[in-house]
Amino acid sequence: MFARRPIDHGAAGDTLSSETQMATMTSSPMATPLSSATAAQTSTRKEPPPEKLSDIRRRIWVIVSFWLIVLLLGLPVWWKTTTIHRANLPLKEMLDWADGKACRPVFPLRISIQANSLPEQEAQNLLRLTQHALDDLNDFSGHHLRLQLSSPAAPQKRNDEPDTALTIRLLPGDAVTATLDPYEPVLDITYPPNAAPSATSASSSLATYVAGQLRSTFAEEQAIISYLLSSNSIPTDYRPQSLTPEAAESLAKRTTRSLKYAPTYHLTFSLFTSGPLPSSWDIEAAIQDYLKPVLDLLSPIHNFTIDTQVQLYASPGVQNQVLSKDDLSSFINAAEWPLSPSIGGAPTVNFIVFVGNQTIALSSENARDSAEGGLTTSQSWLIPQWGTVYLLSLPHDTAHVSVDALKQPLLTFTSHLLSLTGTPSSGSLPLRLSTLSRIRSADLLLRASSTLGSLARLALALKSISIPSSVADGVSKTIVHLRQACETLGEAEGLRHARIAEAEAERAFFEKSMVGQLYFPDEHKVAVYLPLLGPVAVPLVMGMLNELKAWRKRKREAAEKGKEKKKD
Amino acid sequence: MCPSLPSSFLLSLLSLLCFSPYTALAIASSPADSISNSRSDYHEQLILRPLPLSTLLASFNFRSNTSLSAFEAHNFRFFPRSLGQILEHAGTRELHLRFSLGRWDAESWGARPWNGAREGGTGVEMWAWLEADTDEEADRKWLTLTNALSGLFCASLNFIDSTRTTRPVMSFQPEGNHIDANATNMHLLYGVLPHEVVCTENLTPFLKLLPCKGKAGIASLLDGHKLFDSSWQTMAIDIRPVCPEDGECVLQIEQSIDMVLDIDRSKRPRDNPIPRPPPAHEMKCNTSKPYHAHDTCFPTDSAANQDWSLSQIFGKPIKGTCPLTDPTVSPVCIQVPDSRIVFASEGAVEKKNPDQTSRCFDFPAENDFEIFLPAPEAQDGSVVIEHVAKPETPLLYAERSFTGHGQERGGVQTILRNPSPDQEVEFIYMESLPWFMRIYLHTISARVDGQPGKADSLIQEVYYRPAVDRARGTQLEVRMTVPPASTVFLTYDFEKSILRYTEYPPDANRGFDVAAAVITILNKDKSGGNGRNSRFAAYSLRTTTLLCNLPTPDFSMPYNVIIFTSTAIALAFGGMFNILVRRFVAANEGPESGLKKGVNKLKAKLAGILKKGRKESAPAVAAEEEKKAW
Repeated sequence: MFARRPIDHGAAGDTLSSETQMATMTSSPMATPLSSATAAQTSTRKEPPPEKLSDIRRRIWVIVSFWLIVLLLGLPVWWKTTTIHRANLPLKEMLDWADGKACRPVFPLRISIQANSLPEQEAQNLLRLTQHALDDLNDFSGHHLRLQLSSPAAPQKRNDEPDTALTIRLLPGDAVTATLDPYEPVLDITYPPNAAPSATSASSSLATYVAGQLRSTFAEEQAIISYLLSSNSIPTDYRPQSLTPEAAESLAKRTTRSLKYAPTYHLTFSLFTSGPLPSSWDIEAAIQDYLKPVLDLLSPIHNFTIDTQVQLYASPGVQNQVLSKDDLSSFINAAEWPLSPSIGGAPTVNFIVFVGNQTIALSSENARDSAEGGLTTSQSWLIPQWGTVYLLSLPHDTAHVSVDALKQPLLTFTSHLLSLTGTPSSGSLPLRLSTLSRIRSADLLLRASSTLGSLARLALALKSISIPSSVADGVSKTIVHLRQACETLGEAEGLRHARIAEAEAERAFFEKSMVGQLYFPDEHKVAVYLPLLGPVAVPLVMGMLNELKAWRKRKREAAEKGKEKKKD
Repeated sequence: MCPSLPSSFLLSLLSLLCFSPYTALAIASSPADSISNSRSDYHEQLILRPLPLSTLLASFNFRSNTSLSAFEAHNFRFFPRSLGQILEHAGTRELHLRFSLGRWDAESWGARPWNGAREGGTGVEMWAWLEADTDEEADRKWLTLTNALSGLFCASLNFIDSTRTTRPVMSFQPEGNHIDANATNMHLLYGVLPHEVVCTENLTPFLKLLPCKGKAGIASLLDGHKLFDSSWQTMAIDIRPVCPEDGECVLQIEQSIDMVLDIDRSKRPRDNPIPRPPPAHEMKCNTSKPYHAHDTCFPTDSAANQDWSLSQIFGKPIKGTCPLTDPTVSPVCIQVPDSRIVFASEGAVEKKNPDQTSRCFDFPAENDFEIFLPAPEAQDGSVVIEHVAKPETPLLYAERSFTGHGQERGGVQTILRNPSPDQEVEFIYMESLPWFMRIYLHTISARVDGQPGKADSLIQEVYYRPAVDRARGTQLEVRMTVPPASTVFLTYDFEKSILRYTEYPPDANRGFDVAAAVITILNKDKSGGNGRNSRFAAYSLRTTTLLCNLPTPDFSMPYNVIIFTSTAIALAFGGMFNILVRRFVAANEGPESGLKKGVNKLKAKLAGILKKGRKESAPAVAAEEEKKAW
């Protein structure tokens, strides 16, 4: 019937013709009219007239200009508005500081010799010999002792030269002795009359002795400084090799114990008791008597503010009668005792007097050593970087703690305060304090340098972190002050610069706005960009691809035409 | 009663309060008395007062002094060190801090404890006098203070920013003795957080400030479970310098907690807190009702006659006394008529006060202390005996509510009722409103109930500081009077502004809390007293907080906007781009579209399959085999 009608498949392609053949074979009344219809449609299809060259060119221009707008305007605007502000940091220099390449810490210590009883010539020779002996002994170039002869005419002028770390007074006596003056940085050395070297002699036992004395006096300082340098990444060639592991360990203990340097420390004295008594104490008088002298001595390096409090019904974290070593760490009842650090930036050192008859058991070896007394006990312990607890046992009904009862706790606190501030343990007090200021400047210098290094590494590692200009500012200030500190190490000026450098470096590192948008997940970006960019990009890309295809086709046709022409 | 007291100011105050059952409290709270008591460095007292409807008001008061010289030398004994440091660091001369919860039901409970001087609006409220040369410095110090206190009290006080801070002009006066009270370097700042929920984490630091730490003395009763379960509670901290006429100035810290406990609720065991109706035979019926029969019962206010003891209500007895407290002040007082029987634990000494309505107890420091109040004897079947002290009528009742509808505009109406038959009440009404409530000041008006027309002459003085968007809230202080035995409506209108997307809190649909209005009633005796605060603080009260609904957007809006605009742009761009780059040809000249080609192909294939199926439907198996062979 209808389907069997002969079909003209002149214009149809190969596939179509096979389809229509299949269609002719079919007996279905549904499929045949459809296939015949398509055949009819395709039969009328014509080739469009060839496009004008100007049209093609215009289309190419349209596509190119769209792409140019996207690439030259859209991309820069997007880049500009979404980019993260990163100030320029002198990364290379910062890393140099951190690696210790920028500064070679040198502590030139001037030591003046007063030898009023020696003739000028002999004194000069003695000085030369002693310096020689010192140089032979010293293996650490960073820490150098320089001797100089102070003019005998004005011995009292010593105070005018603040750089002098120590004065040696050579006094004639019966035997060779050395004593450190407990109140002034003076080393008295007596010598028998024959011990002084003549003006020409090449060696002298006195010179060797003086050199040895000096070395032992400064041995601890040298060890601490070299430990500080070695624990920071200072190149090995500046470092002395003489540090034994045991010495390093004890120094490590000491440095972890001491507080971080701050210009002001806040001292809090607290009286805790687990019951209602005692409720008052003579702490003001006790501080005046026992602690104030030491605070006055420390005042060139640190300022101190003091407050005191009494807290009743404060039960400790551990109730045992005898506290073992493990109990000490949980003795402080942090949840209930009001030991909040002071506000205002200064670190707080806590000194706690706990009224109670608890004692601390010392380790067993010590107990065996201390004769047959059995278990030895102690009253106080130091909590690294935090403070001290002193267990004070008083009669049960004491309502008021007197100055006398506070003497022992306060003396303990004083000595613990010195070790908490990092003061060396040997030598006379003035020497220890001047050493402390040198150690602190070295420490601050190294700290600031390592903070700079961390900041540089952070900036390198996190590409998406923003670096505000205040950070760059802080870094440049730090570097300026570090340089100045490095030049004036060992002097008061050096400590000041190191202090500023450290504060600036910390401020730059802990800049708040740096971490504001640290985490902005990529999914969010996709969710925001895709709805716009997807639909816009598809016509753009497709238009370009089509045009490329058409262009290639035209090229090929042109080539074929050229070939045909050649053939012709 | 009326003991001889030094200042004439106090006498004038007393003349006002002498008949009040709250007299003992009122005296204790006045600065003049704290001067006379300043010798003793620490003092604590609990005053229990049964209220109508079977509730109990418990007022805890702790007060300690430190001499100013000891404070400046940082020697802290009774004064808490943590707070002392903050005060010094922020240059604070006087500080008042309030944590409150619930509503004081003035209609049934009467006048407020301490004459309202020790309470705040719901949430957290604080005001302080700071020492600063300029306003900017004062703001800086205020910021330091709020941040430090926020850490100390575990409250969101650090959210008291410039939009929540005002500088009241008329409503507050310093309580302490300042040498230069009116000097220009004293700045009063007031901040309020109505949304803050006061809870146990605020009580713990509060107790830590006490010398006895809640381990001995009356503070041992305080427990978060009971305190925050009460119908109304307020915790107050007041720090002020007090200078007695003879002797050294002291810095005084007064901590007080007032709570109204529902006796019925408190007596429920904690493990079985769900209230259940009593069985029928235990029910007490009001037999005077006409419909009373064997099967109908109108229950009497049976709970009012309940017996109670301290350990039933607070869960524990008082653990002795704090040994530091002033021995001349009795630690526990109870305000019930003398006719009522009160049992106390062994060793306690009962002292009846001459006013016939209160008695105090002294007890040894080591023993636990317990009070038991048996149910009052019922006489003639109904309770006629006075078993609770009659509540004092407050000077003013106030309630505030929103008026209007819709999300664009609204109004605030405060109903102020003066219950006194012959005394006019003069007071200062203070509102500190958030900036997004823009008030129309010209609409503020007063109207006396029952009288036609406005009565704007009642408003005597208005201090208004308009809001600045996102920078400052509205401050409105109105001095006005309410005539005797009348009710005044104070109304004003406001407009709600639309917030920015990021300014909405996570629970934006809940609404925004509007801080309580502070009403400070001025003393009528204008000439009396020692001048400084002679006009001040006869009584103060706070309205409840309000919940303001702002137009709240759909919070998925930004993404919707992105999608919508992107679609629009993509459509426009796609169309335009296609018009520009496509070539237009006649329909039969163009290439067949990809879709049509595909459809045709599919149809042809389908037709082929169908045809095949038709042909080989009969010998299906054979066709299969044939197919395989193919």
